[in-house]
Amino acid sequence: MAQKVDIALVDKVKDELANLISASRDSLEGCHYIDLRLGVGEGQGAMAQDGMSKFSLRDYRFSYGIRVIAGNGTPAAGYFGQPLGSADVDNLAGVIKEGLGKAYERAVANSRAKSDRLDLWKTLGGSLQSTELAPVKVCRDTIPAVYAVNPLDIRLDEVGKLTQEVSKAVGAYDPRVKVNQVMAQTSLNRELLISSDGANIDRTYALTQGLCVVVAIGEGGVQQTHYDCVGHQRGWELLTDGIEEDMIRSKSLMGFALDLAADNVSLTDCKPCPSSDKDVVVITDPHYNTLLVHEIIGHPTELDRALKLETAYAGRSWLLRSLKENMLGKEIASPLVSAYSDPMLPGFGHYEYDDEGTPVERTVHIDKGVFRGFMNSRQTAATLGVKPNGHYKAIDSSLVPLIRMSTTVFGAGKDDPQQMIKDVENGYYVVGHRIPSISESRENFRITSRKVYEIKNGELGEMFRDGGIMANTKDYLMSIDAVGNDLRIYPVFNCGKGQPMQAKKLGNGGPTLRGYARLVGGAK
Amino acid sequence: MRELSELKQSVEKALAFLKTQPEIKSAQVFASANNRLWTRLNYTSHIPCNGVEEAKSTDDYGIGVQIVLNGANGNMIGFGSEERDLSLDGVKMALDKAKQGAITDPEFRSLPQPTGEKRTLSDYHDPSVMDITDRALVEGGWKILDGAISSFLESQKLRDMAPGGALHDLGLIVGGDLSIRQERMAVGSYDIPEVQSDEAAAILANVTSMVEKGDAKGSGYSIHLKLSDLDDEAGSEAAANAIGSLDGVRLPSGDYPVILGPQPVGELLSNLIIRSCTTGAFYSQQSCFMGKMGQKVASEKLNIVDRGNARGLIGSRGITCEGLPTGETTLIKDGVLSGLLSDWYEYQRILNDPKGGEKLGVNPGDVRQALLPRTGFRFGIEGGRNFGGRPSASATNVVFESPSASDFGSLVRQVKKGILVGRLWYTYPIHGLRAGDFTSTLTADSYLIEDGEVKAPIKVNTLRINDNIANILMGIRGMTAETRPTILWPGSQIAYAPVGMMVDKVHFEAIAEFMDSAY
Repeated sequence: MAQKVDIALVDKVKDELANLISASRDSLEGCHYIDLRLGVGEGQGAMAQDGMSKFSLRDYRFSYGIRVIAGNGTPAAGYFGQPLGSADVDNLAGVIKEGLGKAYERAVANSRAKSDRLDLWKTLGGSLQSTELAPVKVCRDTIPAVYAVNPLDIRLDEVGKLTQEVSKAVGAYDPRVKVNQVMAQTSLNRELLISSDGANIDRTYALTQGLCVVVAIGEGGVQQTHYDCVGHQRGWELLTDGIEEDMIRSKSLMGFALDLAADNVSLTDCKPCPSSDKDVVVITDPHYNTLLVHEIIGHPTELDRALKLETAYAGRSWLLRSLKENMLGKEIASPLVSAYSDPMLPGFGHYEYDDEGTPVERTVHIDKGVFRGFMNSRQTAATLGVKPNGHYKAIDSSLVPLIRMSTTVFGAGKDDPQQMIKDVENGYYVVGHRIPSISESRENFRITSRKVYEIKNGELGEMFRDGGIMANTKDYLMSIDAVGNDLRIYPVFNCGKGQPMQAKKLGNGGPTLRGYARLVGGAK
Repeated sequence: MRELSELKQSVEKALAFLKTQPEIKSAQVFASANNRLWTRLNYTSHIPCNGVEEAKSTDDYGIGVQIVLNGANGNMIGFGSEERDLSLDGVKMALDKAKQGAITDPEFRSLPQPTGEKRTLSDYHDPSVMDITDRALVEGGWKILDGAISSFLESQKLRDMAPGGALHDLGLIVGGDLSIRQERMAVGSYDIPEVQSDEAAAILANVTSMVEKGDAKGSGYSIHLKLSDLDDEAGSEAAANAIGSLDGVRLPSGDYPVILGPQPVGELLSNLIIRSCTTGAFYSQQSCFMGKMGQKVASEKLNIVDRGNARGLIGSRGITCEGLPTGETTLIKDGVLSGLLSDWYEYQRILNDPKGGEKLGVNPGDVRQALLPRTGFRFGIEGGRNFGGRPSASATNVVFESPSASDFGSLVRQVKKGILVGRLWYTYPIHGLRAGDFTSTLTADSYLIEDGEVKAPIKVNTLRINDNIANILMGIRGMTAETRPTILWPGSQIAYAPVGMMVDKVHFEAIAEFMDSAY
């Protein structure tokens, strides 16, 4: 019988794998660099629909990924990744050595082909370069998980029972709730990074998430579907007790799901949101700004996009046209606006080192309205000539990392959110995020909200459904005239990027903001 | 990659073992092996780059077990899987997980049973695609880049733009990937005991190219079933389309007649139409076609058929991941909603739903044939058939047809002033699927049509569509007979979309004016 896969496995293989990476770098001809990521996770999850259990499972995940940079003329990278199983535990080093060989073969073949094109492509071959990584401090560290209730101490039937109870309660909330789905998952994960430079980072973290989808239909036939999640790098307590931290506050899964149901039901009685033919005053709440900052600050400040690596996929960034022509040091927002990404903030986006061992630091994107910098990786940092800041992450060790948001937020201001509303004669209060659509270089956006309130003479008035705002990114950022003191961070559980698609969990947030944008309702 | 015979033997042994377990009333076993290889491209003439950025792959194999147990409150169902172990040990570990997680689902009726339809497609892929080497993977990517670079080097228009022949200053970009999908599976169950297997492979190239100094972008793509067909076409097409998009114009906000190309049709199909054409979407009351089965939902000029068993089409498979034959499901016929995609569970659920008639608009039992579970697949997010996943309805080859199809030129000639939309970006049902409202931006390959002629390219990222899918479907005024395969997300689904589909009116908003003076 094969051995059980558990996170303690990492202790047994750590030294052997470090030796393998070091020896391989020395023995493989023209090999410049190797890094290995090994991931082990144990967890469980369940789903209920309309009060009925639909699925539950306790399982493990186990995988590795390798990058090799090799080649004598113009070094290039080759990659290999694989999920693993219990059957691989006894021969883990052998399996990884085989994968390393494939990554090396790809790197060498790639290097040769690249060297050939330097001349073959004439004047256009000049931009082909050796693959280089910007230097970082070589770190060796072990990081423990943070939780009150160990995800592995919870019985699977408890997970299933919670989803069923919450789903029943949501269904019973109001007859207008027609369909609901509740999911819960909790896991303990361990990730090991070993590089031929000597990095050795061993990190364990808990991850717990609850998700709720509610479909409600009003007496007039208006249907509303909304979904949202709670999540954190914490234990099972997140779903049973909720959490109260400085910037993260969420109810238990039950309370959270019932709030969502209440919103959904009330929306079925609302009129559709009107559209404005010009910009109007819009106040957006921290939950809405979670998606707003994600789309208009987070994504365009990923340096792989800016350097065009995502042209065919996730798109480019309007913040950089070339190394000479870009917005660095230029005003792109009101002086009241600041924004940054910080992996040390709590929540889904928290980590101490990224997937190539770079110790993290806060990356300021906008400081008092001026654009200051991008999230990067070692390779993209080398291209731009800046210091790596630790944003190279994959959702699974078998996949090649990309530049991803950690926790990206608008910085807090000084204004009282209630006063921000009171100061508005005519405008709209846009609450809760729903669905985004953003143009390819992130220069224009339309993002819908859960609900929209009219503001008349400083008071909230009628509530509308199916609305949101649309604006050109820079115009909107420049228009911001008040920033609240109520910075909150929320979990984002499904940020998609990459080929193959990697749906990452991360954190976003912000305070209440006031600016100008078009209000947009439904199509005619 | 594990051989088909290994997968079949593993399923046979697993079924034999499970039958010795008295507590198991019924079971289905699914084994698969998948290779997914990518050569990711990134060439930038004005920024240091690697050309082929990533040569990479992921592969997996394993076994999944779905069981039905006797429980105190009725049947209990459970699912478990084990990675990289096709032996009886692997089966036992998967079974343990299935038992541990078993739940009582009152809506569960049975595991898949024969539907009366027969398998019609076998031996339909090129075995050589299964044997591609690492070197060939890398070379394939460089070949595509060669095609794009040649187009750039040969372009007189670019030479005229670049004083002193400094083409690299124009900001020439080539991105995208070559991807190769290899998959094998075997499935058997108590109800369908003969172990069936399937094997498929495909090569897909997807390229975007730019002349960034001119804000010009073009796309190129190719899909192949044979390794010998792989060429540099996707690269050269993308570069040529980028060059052809130079000197783009802006258009003001307003309603315009449009001709949608294959990618925009695929984008609307993927994000709005297919998601609404499943039994699951009707059960959960989220389809934008609620209550409209058998009713008009589109122009009578539109037929949409899912052809899962068509030889020579990229998305074809011999059997579903539930062991049922693939086949042909007519979704929309002469504008009337005529069928839905389904897996076995959702098929059973809608047939037995007391509100099924209200949800569909007809008694589900009366349209049973139109709901048959011909598309229950376990497609993974990375592609391939995932032994660790449970089946859900997925499209295969979604083929567009029209009873009155015409050619592209005659569509263009009908447009006084309109827009040829070649590529949409970030298309989402912005107020939920059922409302049908969607928004999207034009990001490449789009042109102004005036007086029946394609006149000028439209500058990229300067127009946003705000409209409703019902307006699009009801407003179809014609389409070409010629179709082109287009990859839908997730990548295992393919649309054979018309080269041109004409819609009488779509609302556009002019956007991103500030970018005209940003650089």
